[in-house]
Amino acid sequence: MSEAVATATPIFEVRKLTKRFRGLTALSEVTFRVSPGEILGLIGPNGAGKTTLISLISGTLLPTSGEIYFEGQRIDGLAAYKRARLGIGRTFQVMKPFPGLSVLENVTVGALFGATEGQERKRTRAREKARELLEFTGLGRRIDQRADALGGPDRKRLEFAKALALHPKVLLLDEVMAGLNHVEVDEVVELIRKIRDRKVTILVIEHVMKAIRNLSDRLLVIHHGQQIAEGKVDQVLKDPRVVEAYLGKRRQ
Amino acid sequence: MNERLRYGIVGAAIAALAVVPFVVSDSLVQFGINALLVATLAQGWNVIGGFAGYPSFGNSVFYGLGSYGTAIAMVQFQLPFELALVLGALLGVAAAFVFGVPILRLRGPYFAIATLGLSAVMGAVVANVPIAGKNIGLILPLFKGDRLFYELSLGLLVLATAVVLWLSQSRFGAGLVAIREDEDAAQVMGINTTLYKVFAFAIAGFLSAAAGGIHAYWITYVDPAGSFEGSLNVRMVIMTLFGGPGTVFGPVIGAFVLSAISEVLASKISTVASLFYGFVIVLAVIFMPKGLLDVIQGVRGSGVRYFGANMRRFRL
Amino acid sequence: MTLFGQILANGILLGGLYGLMALGMGLVWGVLNIVNLAHGAFIMLGGYAVYFLFTLAGIDPFLALPIAMVGMFCFGYLLQMFVLNFIVRSALLNTLLITFGFDVVFVYLAQLLFTADFRTINPTYSGSSVDLAGVTIPYSTAGAFLVAILLAGALYVFLDQTRTGRAIRATAQNLTAARLYGVNPRRIYALTFGVGAALAGAAGGLFGVVSQITPYIGITLTAKSFVIAILGGLDKPLGVIVGGLVLGIAEAMTDLYLGSTFKDIISFGLLVLILVARPAQLVGRA
Repeated sequence: MSEAVATATPIFEVRKLTKRFRGLTALSEVTFRVSPGEILGLIGPNGAGKTTLISLISGTLLPTSGEIYFEGQRIDGLAAYKRARLGIGRTFQVMKPFPGLSVLENVTVGALFGATEGQERKRTRAREKARELLEFTGLGRRIDQRADALGGPDRKRLEFAKALALHPKVLLLDEVMAGLNHVEVDEVVELIRKIRDRKVTILVIEHVMKAIRNLSDRLLVIHHGQQIAEGKVDQVLKDPRVVEAYLGKRRQ
Repeated sequence: MNERLRYGIVGAAIAALAVVPFVVSDSLVQFGINALLVATLAQGWNVIGGFAGYPSFGNSVFYGLGSYGTAIAMVQFQLPFELALVLGALLGVAAAFVFGVPILRLRGPYFAIATLGLSAVMGAVVANVPIAGKNIGLILPLFKGDRLFYELSLGLLVLATAVVLWLSQSRFGAGLVAIREDEDAAQVMGINTTLYKVFAFAIAGFLSAAAGGIHAYWITYVDPAGSFEGSLNVRMVIMTLFGGPGTVFGPVIGAFVLSAISEVLASKISTVASLFYGFVIVLAVIFMPKGLLDVIQGVRGSGVRYFGANMRRFRL
Repeated sequence: MTLFGQILANGILLGGLYGLMALGMGLVWGVLNIVNLAHGAFIMLGGYAVYFLFTLAGIDPFLALPIAMVGMFCFGYLLQMFVLNFIVRSALLNTLLITFGFDVVFVYLAQLLFTADFRTINPTYSGSSVDLAGVTIPYSTAGAFLVAILLAGALYVFLDQTRTGRAIRATAQNLTAARLYGVNPRRIYALTFGVGAALAGAAGGLFGVVSQITPYIGITLTAKSFVIAILGGLDKPLGVIVGGLVLGIAEAMTDLYLGSTFKDIISFGLLVLILVARPAQLVGRA
């Protein structure tokens, strides 16, 4: 359990965020806050709008209406690269490493860019930082391999390393545990905890219930684009609306 | 290869090249000037096409603008060559900014054809502008001194290569490569992709325009057809691809090798020359899909298996 | 009004032929992701094939078309099967490079074998025309237009209705998935390239009836096919024909009102404007 208290100034805040795609409402009036150092789990059945929410926060998509605040500053109109510079990092559900580059080079790019605070502007220093991060995420032995030659779990580690290289204040993780076995899931949970210890606030989308239950300080449930529950983990999981939404879809 | 050794070799090569015009025949010097200029064009393309991954098929527009800028400055405003060349180069940069912003929004082949269209349009537009001499073009003052043009062209190539070297080691260059590999991911990582692309385009514009300016003064005339010549585009792309896009020396090697081949063939077996040129290209793509430089590195690493591995990766 | 009508008619008729020219390029680009810089050379070779069938064997050009198409199909099929299939999955630029190499080779072979003389295909009806609502329509141009529309329609039906056509479309969408369904990609690719070559050959034959053939006509025609294919959405036959019509009409109109020097500016300028003004429709495709 974290020490984050609901009354602390939120590091980011979303108010009535709505996204419509040509008649389809992907997200409707979602509102919540995240405190610094918190791990917020984002759950909901497939297609509920979770990735859309992350895309709206990272700037890949622009909202139809609503507001997003980061450290008190309104960011919902900013371009994606500006948000990255402020300190918002994300991983992609479909792993997107830079295919032609080595693992090391992939992460080096992250270290060269990303949040303006803590950026390395010299390629050589960035490379060192990249090496560190690759050790941290367990890819130390693969640094010179081509990124597109990595297998599934290693690709995830690479995504992590890249996202961390951006030295974000807030990290948005999109189903990083999909397709992993029990042991690998536990490793990733540990990794996420270590990341939080580095003072990063984390928003995690996940389907693996065991993991998200252990990891999250609070949960947010989205179903059909609507926010149906929010709060402490145990309360939310007992909420009848949540149970109903998940009927037949719970995975362990 | 040891860094110092590599720089030593490059330094020696530059010195050797600089001495060339004093020891060879005039026609060879002329060949040299052409080869050096086209190598600069290849390096310019390398920045936008090789590093940033935006395959421009219209860099000839900058070459032409550089030629015309220099010509107009000298002929209509009686400015000295040094100043005129700078103005011509700046004209290229300006064009890159003006056209780059809308056109760089397009991806892949759409960008390629937009640049192609740009070049075609510019040539036709210039043919209607009085200050540019309309259809006839302009005749520049004569300056006899091939050796000087040679050294100037060599200097420009060295500058171009130095810029590309800087790209390969700088944060800006890393950003361009990120854009090439995955532009969306690059944006989300904090890279201002629009700014970076336009900048890369401007560098290409500058180098191409400067090459055009030197060429114009050397051959003492500019005209719409010649200065915006379409085949230049294909040549600079092919030379860079042949030598190795995204590398520092690839385009230079590609330009020199292909220029030499085509020169040798043209003089020895003229009619069949182009035939061989075509075959060389076809074979090169099949056996060296990542360029000559990559072949040299690859063969050093894994021997003849390099070819097999490549073919297996790219075949259906 | 009649001058306008005449020029408009010319533009439409020529536009149909332009569309046919671009069909093959668009198909190959859309399905194989190969931008064939030698496409114009295929058109040129098809033109020569029909020319020689006409002058040496006395076969009417419209009847010679199928023969030439079969020949070009085989040629394209073999080229894809034994050369292009080896580099298909490398960077798009490599395909540009290799097809450029082909173009150089074909053009010079043509120059060597056929010389640079202008050739025209002049069947007996080539001078005659029909009068339609005050507009003169030459028989040959009309015939070319009709054949173009016919072939475009045939291509559409082929892609949409036949099993092979659907296999081609499946391969274009997702190579791996198509493989799992038992599609042999090498053959499909070779087939598609062959069809592209055949269509180019037909366009060439018709071009010879309507205009002149030299080994060098390919370059401009490749560029135009490029433009039209993009306008039309690559492997959508009906869209490509429309793209051809647009270019044909635009060219005819600029020729009439602004003079021929502006023709190129307009066609390319139009293209650049369209690309820049509506990127959303096209950006995704890349």
